[in-house]
Amino acid sequence: MKKQSDFKSYKKEIMGAAHDDRLRLALTRAVKSFRANVKAALEKFPHTVALADEVRKIKEKAIPDMEALTERAVAAIEENRGHGYIARTAEEALKIISDITGTGQLIVKGKTMTGEEIGLREYLEEKGNEVYETDLGEFIIQKLGSRPMHILSPAIHVPREDVARLFAKVIGQDISEESDIAAMVGAAREFLRDKFFRADIGISGANVVAAETGTLFIIENEGNIRLATGAPPVHIALVGMEKLVPTLSDAYKVAEVTWRYANYTIPSYVSLISGPSKTGDIEKVTTYGAHGPGQFHVIFLDGGRTRLAKYPKLMQALYCLRCGGCLYECPVFAVTAGHFGDKYFAGIGAVWAAIVNEDLEKAASIAYTCLTCGRCRQRCPMKIDVPEMIIELRKLLAEGS
Amino acid sequence: MESDLVPPGLTYLADNITSRQNILGVAKEQGARWAQGLNLPPRAETIFFAGCGYQYSAQLERLMSLVRGIDKSVIGAELPMRFARFQKKLGLNLPGIYSSVLARGILPGKEAPEVKPLTAAVKVLRKLGLEPGYLAEAEPCCGAPLNHAGLRERFAANARQAYDKLKTAGVKRVIGIVPYCTHALAELFPGYVEGYDLEVRHFLEIVAEKLPSLKLKYPRKVKVTYHDPCQLVRYLNLVDEPRRILGAIEGITLVEPEWTRGEWATCCGGGGGFETVFPELSGVLAVNRASELLETGAEIIVTHCPGCVMQLKDGLRQLKVDNVTVLDLSEVVAEAMAA
Repeated sequence: MKKQSDFKSYKKEIMGAAHDDRLRLALTRAVKSFRANVKAALEKFPHTVALADEVRKIKEKAIPDMEALTERAVAAIEENRGHGYIARTAEEALKIISDITGTGQLIVKGKTMTGEEIGLREYLEEKGNEVYETDLGEFIIQKLGSRPMHILSPAIHVPREDVARLFAKVIGQDISEESDIAAMVGAAREFLRDKFFRADIGISGANVVAAETGTLFIIENEGNIRLATGAPPVHIALVGMEKLVPTLSDAYKVAEVTWRYANYTIPSYVSLISGPSKTGDIEKVTTYGAHGPGQFHVIFLDGGRTRLAKYPKLMQALYCLRCGGCLYECPVFAVTAGHFGDKYFAGIGAVWAAIVNEDLEKAASIAYTCLTCGRCRQRCPMKIDVPEMIIELRKLLAEGS
Repeated sequence: MESDLVPPGLTYLADNITSRQNILGVAKEQGARWAQGLNLPPRAETIFFAGCGYQYSAQLERLMSLVRGIDKSVIGAELPMRFARFQKKLGLNLPGIYSSVLARGILPGKEAPEVKPLTAAVKVLRKLGLEPGYLAEAEPCCGAPLNHAGLRERFAANARQAYDKLKTAGVKRVIGIVPYCTHALAELFPGYVEGYDLEVRHFLEIVAEKLPSLKLKYPRKVKVTYHDPCQLVRYLNLVDEPRRILGAIEGITLVEPEWTRGEWATCCGGGGGFETVFPELSGVLAVNRASELLETGAEIIVTHCPGCVMQLKDGLRQLKVDNVTVLDLSEVVAEAMAA
């Protein structure tokens, strides 16, 4: 009976979203500009399409080899004088991270979906730390007390007028509904500026990791990641194991395809981080913590990913680059945003909910909300066959595995 | 053992398929009524597979408007759907009750407007020199919604049973018209039926192939737009065929949405049983798709799927647009052949 009522409350949530005019307005604006941007980016760099096929092959080899790649990456990071960890579960990852941070610390955080997955910010706050989201979208979400509604644009569901009202309240500056977007961005910048430099710890995720050198590739436009991973004395990165590829050149290819399908010709910044900051400029004595962090910690999270890799038809969910393109094409997402989803959104989110988070009721709700219309597959640079996964998942849900 | 994670709307369709060989659980004779007077041979090597969607579209429309009304109210559509299943367990002849309710308004022997696409398709095939058979009440259900619901074992059993029926009837080739059925028969059945040897083609492929020899003229000059059904465009890859057909009809100007066409067409929000699980949301999506198509300024929205026809009509109704009509491609072609 519980299952029945859960589905009902989910359905109510979905319908509430579908009738929310503000949400619809924000999404319509976003979809329109995203499509135009991707088209322009792919026209300017048409080789991206073939590169995406190459990346798919890289992922097809890397995913079954996740364990070994992770071990290689950990070894490389240790060699670089950083610290590498493998966390089997979300709880383990949280414990490793909070053992490093301790309590009473000021923490600046870049956006990490893996962090959202394990509830990292909330956990660190519970442990008595002051945590600031520094990605503008995440900052808005944090201040709204909401949850991300898109993997790349977490505040996609909030129209500018609502951001103005929020900032006027929490930042207390001279922001009104008539303010232009630049003024809002300026206000956030000013508010967060000193947090970066006062912070004890910076936290980030990574878009892709080269196992051979332990190098994290982090794509961004705002510059908050550079500050969060550069200014504080400690940098902690949380990375899902599916982000690993063998070589630097593989990682570069993954990164380029990711940003292009995420609607950028080129992002403003790509950080490549392989170890702590160091200098040998005084008598050739290597000393750690020059201008950047003296401590560099990378936690690789399994959290069900190796389990997912064992399902022949569902493992393709791990090929996802998190470009977010599929979400802009999903007809249901267009009216509900991330309410159609769990930790990850839309159809593919059902697979994560079922196998990674092992929440079958949530997974069923999402799986049966998917139209299996297949337009996401059309957009996906990895050609992930979401309808195929959804039907397979429904079979597992309906008939048991 | 089937779990209770399957939404009741889908189990309702599934049970109807298993018990009555059609998604609504109504009498098969009702579905076959459209073909009365066409004298299609009941036995032939090549058959026309009519499928549930068109044959029961009048009933389906009626049921959906009922369910949508309930879904918008506080109760939620799960209740009547589940109720239906519960009553069936008690031994009530619910399909019978439903079918009598659903059949109201459809006069025997009279063609309901909703089955016009089928008669039109048969007329088109005949003009192309084909004389397919039609199994009428004996036509098995493809069972696609079973697969869609995740009930794969039941789908597999149904597929084998359907195949046997078709083989026993001497069928070698199938001309499909409902996108879901055609996809199931062409792409899914081979995975479950050993030695599957039926040749399955979609109506569109056949028409497109014969196009060079046809002279097509629409009775008046019209601006039409085309809505690609998901199963046709992204599952069966029929992208150019409908456009070539429409393009070959004199008097028709095809206008399409800038982005959401062909492989990028937006789903109408129906199909696969989604509308029985989320009736109200499905209605919202219908409005969205109809709006995208209206932006083209077309007078006629042409599509080629019973689910899409129903959804788009509903979208227009909700938008209170009455100067744009929704037509099935087979009707448009039939009309262009007659002129």
